[in-house]
Amino acid sequence: MSRGNFSLTAFLWAVIALLVVYPLSILVLESFRIAESAGWGIHNYLEFFQDTYYLKTFGNTLVLSTLVLLATTLFGIPLSYILARYRQRGKTLFTALILLPIVLPAYAGVFAFIIFFGKFGTLNLLLMDTGIIKAPINFIYGLHGLVFVQSLHLLPFIVLSLSAGFTTIDPSFEEAAEVEGASGFRRFITVTLPLCTPTYLAGAVIVFLWPFTDWLTPMILGQVDFLPSVAYINIAYHFTDVHRKYMGIVAVVVSSFVCIALFLLARRWVERKKYTGLSKGTTSEGRVIEPGAGIKWLSYLYTFFISALVLLIPIVLGLAAFSRRWVFEPFPTYWTLENFRVILLESPLLIRNSFVFSGIALVFGMVFGLPAAYLIVRTRVRGKDALDFVITLMLAFPGIAVGVSYLLGFWKGIPLATHWIIMPLALFARRLPYFLRMAHSSYLQLDVSLEEASEVSGVGKFRTFFYISLPLLIKGVLVGVVMFFIMAFQEISTAIFLYRGGWETLPIGIYLNWHRGMEFGIAAAMAFLMIVITFILLLIISRIGGGVLKAAWGPGGK
Amino acid sequence: MAFIEIRNLFKRFKKVVAVNHIDLEVKQGEMLTLLGPSGCGKTTTLRCIAGLEKPEEGDILIDGKPMLSQGFVQPSKRGIGMVFQNYAVWPHMKVLHNVGYGLRLQKIPRRQIREMAYQVLELVGLSGLEERYPAQLSGGQQQRVALARALVRNPKVLLLDEPLSNLDAKLREKMRFEIKSLVKRMGITSVYVTHDQAEAMVISDRIAVMDSGNVAQLGTAEEIYKKPANRFVADFIGTMNFIPGKVVQILKDSRAVYVRAEFKENILCQMDHLDETTLGKTVYVSIRPEDVEILAQPTPARENLLKGTIVHKAYLGNFLYFFVSVNETMIRVQVSHHLPQEEGQELFLSLDPQKCVVLL
Repeated sequence: MSRGNFSLTAFLWAVIALLVVYPLSILVLESFRIAESAGWGIHNYLEFFQDTYYLKTFGNTLVLSTLVLLATTLFGIPLSYILARYRQRGKTLFTALILLPIVLPAYAGVFAFIIFFGKFGTLNLLLMDTGIIKAPINFIYGLHGLVFVQSLHLLPFIVLSLSAGFTTIDPSFEEAAEVEGASGFRRFITVTLPLCTPTYLAGAVIVFLWPFTDWLTPMILGQVDFLPSVAYINIAYHFTDVHRKYMGIVAVVVSSFVCIALFLLARRWVERKKYTGLSKGTTSEGRVIEPGAGIKWLSYLYTFFISALVLLIPIVLGLAAFSRRWVFEPFPTYWTLENFRVILLESPLLIRNSFVFSGIALVFGMVFGLPAAYLIVRTRVRGKDALDFVITLMLAFPGIAVGVSYLLGFWKGIPLATHWIIMPLALFARRLPYFLRMAHSSYLQLDVSLEEASEVSGVGKFRTFFYISLPLLIKGVLVGVVMFFIMAFQEISTAIFLYRGGWETLPIGIYLNWHRGMEFGIAAAMAFLMIVITFILLLIISRIGGGVLKAAWGPGGK
Repeated sequence: MAFIEIRNLFKRFKKVVAVNHIDLEVKQGEMLTLLGPSGCGKTTTLRCIAGLEKPEEGDILIDGKPMLSQGFVQPSKRGIGMVFQNYAVWPHMKVLHNVGYGLRLQKIPRRQIREMAYQVLELVGLSGLEERYPAQLSGGQQQRVALARALVRNPKVLLLDEPLSNLDAKLREKMRFEIKSLVKRMGITSVYVTHDQAEAMVISDRIAVMDSGNVAQLGTAEEIYKKPANRFVADFIGTMNFIPGKVVQILKDSRAVYVRAEFKENILCQMDHLDETTLGKTVYVSIRPEDVEILAQPTPARENLLKGTIVHKAYLGNFLYFFVSVNETMIRVQVSHHLPQEEGQELFLSLDPQKCVVLL
């Protein structure tokens, strides 16, 4: 082990210890505190698992996760099969639209759907105007609405992972089934689908864990009896009632535990069941088939339907952003730029904060992520597997856990939370795996002999990295950079616990405007602004090469 | 009697012609090999027989039934068994289920499936591994599972697509004989695809050598080795010396020609089809390295005596290999006994007219 690698590992571990291990252990410690006394114990946990209300929220969350997973899977299987295997006009556009929710903030979708599907939303008003219904239908408030909104947000993860499976499984597995007498649907059920389970699972676990993370969507839809929402309310609103605060922390720890456990289980299962064929070089283009006319029309209709639902989000938010007093009307009638004037002129701070915090987080991300990817892929430094493991675990950690633990850990012990630097630090810690994964997967594709050739020619490791590796990795790294920025830019579940007056970001502004004064117009305009910024960043990504994104997220696993 | 009949088969991928109007017949119970370099169209032809590719033109008859001209017959309805290059043993099913898959679809009772699967697994030497998953098997064992799966339904036709190319050399050699004796014992008509000429020669009754979408030659291993139809076949099968020259004399009575080689010596060659030759035509005198004789002294009684210099000499265990320069033309010679001559020394080569083949 070279000394350089060793000190690099030490540095990375120090960062992990400060920003991950320390706050999370404080979080776990605090959950054992007993209110109104200096004592410690498992009382809070006992209460949590005996209290019918907490048990109910726990059950509700599990039910929600199951329903969302079912919905995304049912809708995702045909969708990914169509996108992976059928020849279709405008496929690139459809794919882009269907994948869009990955980069859209979840709360943006909720606002749009409330405006469109709400009690006196566009759809209900239109239906009542035409006389089809008398009283408004409740499309969105309630469990069904929650399942709908979250499913649409999470569908891309299932589509990405399943279509990766459909394009990468060895074609001869299916051909063998055909020769053996199984054609069409039969072959799909007995061979194709089972062979896709490992890639499917990688996406499915992200979907299943989301309801344990997302506290905001249920709250906006008037549903609070879910674990993350209860935790949020207990911690954010009841700072005076210390016992409720501890119960909130227990809820956070329990959700984190469930997330980590499920994540690790899925990972182990995927690793045990890697179905790799022996074929060298199968082209994905070769698998694309021309479906029959009927199937073709159905698949068009289907992809169009899903894409339209996704498109509703920017369209509705756009309408709301450029109008005022859009109530009890199917479409806005009073057009104005007032919302944008308020955002841009009266409180430009929010936008500036968003850019500054995400930008600083990005710098942290690169300084940390590139060496980490190098260590994990290229060296045999002791402890690199553990490093990889801890960083990957951050994928599963609920944002609320990071936020709360930072609040607890950096308030008294290490007083970082009094300085605004805590905001980018938290964003960095929360979104760390996103950048690392991108750098990691492009590193894996880089043939090590290219670097070895440089070293043999007498160039040291450090300069080899800058002259050879980095230029070859630059695509993946740039996509990682932009992805990381997008993710940090829309982060709310962590930031909401840490912001103080003057540190608000756009997402927090959206939340506050909705929450405080029901200033839908301004919230919508902010969300619209975020979508526009995200869209521009996405264009940059696709310019650099969208394939990199797919390579990093597609087959899942690692 | 032809059991598989390929008529005027034509298949192309976008602009690349893979199979160019070929005709082929496979007799009942015969093992025919499609042999050729990569990209020659052998695998595409096989996949057309299987129904995994749809050719643009032509027809394929299996046991007298047309597979294309009267509506495309799906692979599942052709009554074939197929062994894939990468085995394609389904990793999510146990060995038993892999083998029994096709039978289950035929709605055969479970007990009977089990019996049939056990039987065929015993035949390929996999008894006792029925409950294993493919990941727990070696490459050779997976290969046998693929073979068992292809044989269990007692197919009319067995198709094998480079089945041994993923095995190591020792195992490959052993499996050649095993596959051959198994298929012969069951009397299944089979088509075997390979790029390995030794494999083709061991395993097949007849070989069709393919070159850029065409059948270059069809015949037994011996015919193809001893009487190659053209330069492509001669070059692809084994090693061949090609000596360019012009026909200078045609001896009608003794069915032979004299070829004036580029090194200004006349070479006498036996020739069966004299009608293809005209005076002054450019041809290649072709002779295998092991058919060239080395003489230390010139023996006047011999025909085609050439004087040359040893450029390289290599010891290869069971034989010696020489590169001999005859007036700048390099001739490769293989001898199975020891020779004292070293590099740089002169010697004489004798080319037996019976073994010289004139190719265009």
